[in-house]
Amino acid sequence: MKFEIQLTGPSGKRKHMVELERKGNVSTVSLDGKPVDADAVQVAPNAISVMLGGQSFEIHVSSSVDGTLKLQCGAHEFSADIIDPRAWRGRKHSAVEVEGRQEILAPMPGKVVRVLAAVGDAVEAGQGLLVVEAMKMQNEIRSPKSGKVERLLVKEGQNVNAGEVLAWVE
Amino acid sequence: MFKKILIANRGEIAVRILRACRELGIQTVSVYSEVDRTSLHVRLADEAYLIGPAASRESYLRIDKLMDVAKKSGCDALHPGYGFLAENAALPRACADAGITFIGPSAEAMEAMGSKTAGKQLARRANVPTVPGTSEPIENPEEAQALAQNMGYPVLLKAIAGGGGKGMRVVPNDAAFASAWRDAASEALNAFGDQRVFLEKYLVGPRHIEIQILADAHGRCVSLGERECSVQRRHQKVVEEAPSPVVTPELRRKMGDAAVRLGRAGGYTNAGTVEFLVDADLNYYFLEVNTRLQVEHPVTEQVTGLDLVKLQIAIAADHRLPFAWETITPRGHAMEVRLYAEDPDNNFFPSPGKIISCHVPTGPGIRLDDGVYEGWTVPMDYDPLLSKLIAWGNSREETITRLRRALDEYTITGIRTNVSLFRRILSEPEFLRAEIHTKWLDELLARPHPPAVPPRPGTEEAALIAAALWHNAQSNAACSGSADSQAAPSRWKMEGRRQQLDHMP
Repeated sequence: MKFEIQLTGPSGKRKHMVELERKGNVSTVSLDGKPVDADAVQVAPNAISVMLGGQSFEIHVSSSVDGTLKLQCGAHEFSADIIDPRAWRGRKHSAVEVEGRQEILAPMPGKVVRVLAAVGDAVEAGQGLLVVEAMKMQNEIRSPKSGKVERLLVKEGQNVNAGEVLAWVE
Repeated sequence: MFKKILIANRGEIAVRILRACRELGIQTVSVYSEVDRTSLHVRLADEAYLIGPAASRESYLRIDKLMDVAKKSGCDALHPGYGFLAENAALPRACADAGITFIGPSAEAMEAMGSKTAGKQLARRANVPTVPGTSEPIENPEEAQALAQNMGYPVLLKAIAGGGGKGMRVVPNDAAFASAWRDAASEALNAFGDQRVFLEKYLVGPRHIEIQILADAHGRCVSLGERECSVQRRHQKVVEEAPSPVVTPELRRKMGDAAVRLGRAGGYTNAGTVEFLVDADLNYYFLEVNTRLQVEHPVTEQVTGLDLVKLQIAIAADHRLPFAWETITPRGHAMEVRLYAEDPDNNFFPSPGKIISCHVPTGPGIRLDDGVYEGWTVPMDYDPLLSKLIAWGNSREETITRLRRALDEYTITGIRTNVSLFRRILSEPEFLRAEIHTKWLDELLARPHPPAVPPRPGTEEAALIAAALWHNAQSNAACSGSADSQAAPSRWKMEGRRQQLDHMP
């Protein structure tokens, strides 16, 4: 199986090709076309132990609401966007403004304390749509694209969960 | 001894108290709000009762509901923990009315020592040095300004009812006085419903050093030595240690004697903490008394070998403190860091949510006091303290290296934590030399980040492989999940997937 992965870490952002092949009990790994001496085992639901030429690494994986993977290795953190050949449409192919109808998701559980836009309003990319309060701090949720507010699914005073759809911008 | 204790708190401190009760063979009763049904203090308790909705004002702060639970469940004592109602004299009064023993000082001692101005007046009477300033609230801003000019700037404005840095303002010079006064008073009014403010001389670069005292009901009051809590972010303690690297045996004895004098003067019983500011010449000034168990009590426990919660319970049950404790000296060194669900890279923004995985550190010299577990959702309604990681060793150096090692083992995913803040603090040369004061951390955070230590070679490659493997496992699980609902995979779908693969480079 071949994966195109965009990895963001301390040394910047780069795209890589990772190939995992399993023949019987033997698995082979190649990175950017070059075979590497690696062995990876899932040791806990969210932890993967990777042996790389005798060097031992433990990576803790969690996925965020938008599908980006967060990888923690000791004090270091990476994020990875995977372009899966099996998915119908690769996401995040480019940095250009997102297209089509966008669902605005709550990044954290909290309470909607202010709604800054109304249905039908024209909004710019980066403009605030609502304010969500969590643990006494207020966080402005911004529009990912320029467009029109098509629907607002929450009201002021309402509690929301992480990942809950707050609004649609068309 | 008591048979059943009501724990009027939540989070790690409720769990801490529960563990002491269990070791003493005392039954435990927890209380919880609607969002805390799955919290650890509820899971571990012998009995637990719902006391209301998430908002603390309607649950953990409701004395009437606590008393109902205590009576209904047949508790003979109540432990308030810290925060919530721990320093509210109405709680010991309600307990007394209900015939339940309050594990803490009397309501009178709480009032005589707990408020900043009352504590300061008592300190003057007990001949304990105080920071120059007014002990009475000042009503008139002009009068206050004249006093400030007399005392010399900088001065500090503090809310009478204050705590946690709210209603507090440093005034650097005369020109800034009027606006600082307005800010402090309105902040105090909003936070505590009391806008009265008092004034004191502002010490430059002081250390925060506090003395733990224990007093029984038979007239014995002892000092368990000091803790240094100079590493603070906006007046909130972040790292605490015992003993203080600057306190000599002589200073320890002098400060301990002062704290005991104060405790006696206030008729104090149970565990309490007398806080001092210590200047560069090791002069100490009384700051305030905390009439409760402190968050940072474990560092004292590690260097004295005592269990403060069990001692609190014993004192409340009218036991005597052994005479020998009047000469306690610390052994070794202990240090605590407070892990919060907050993001240090994003202005310490709170990060509630579900803990996806939690690997906790263990091994020599490590203690973890926590109230969280894997799969639990950190509610957004309360203080974001997750756990306290405590290390101890023979020396300060060994303790710091242990703490660093434990932090590297500690991995929490799903929410953000301030672990990286401690990695930074514990590697700062000034911290290692113990050149710290109460503004040190705020100054450190204002400096540019040091260049990050690069990951060791291979980390990036390992991360890529892990990402691919994890993603592969996830999508396989998703595929097999959908296959279950169908008799056989659709050939149309298979063909579609094959064609998609052909488009890949």
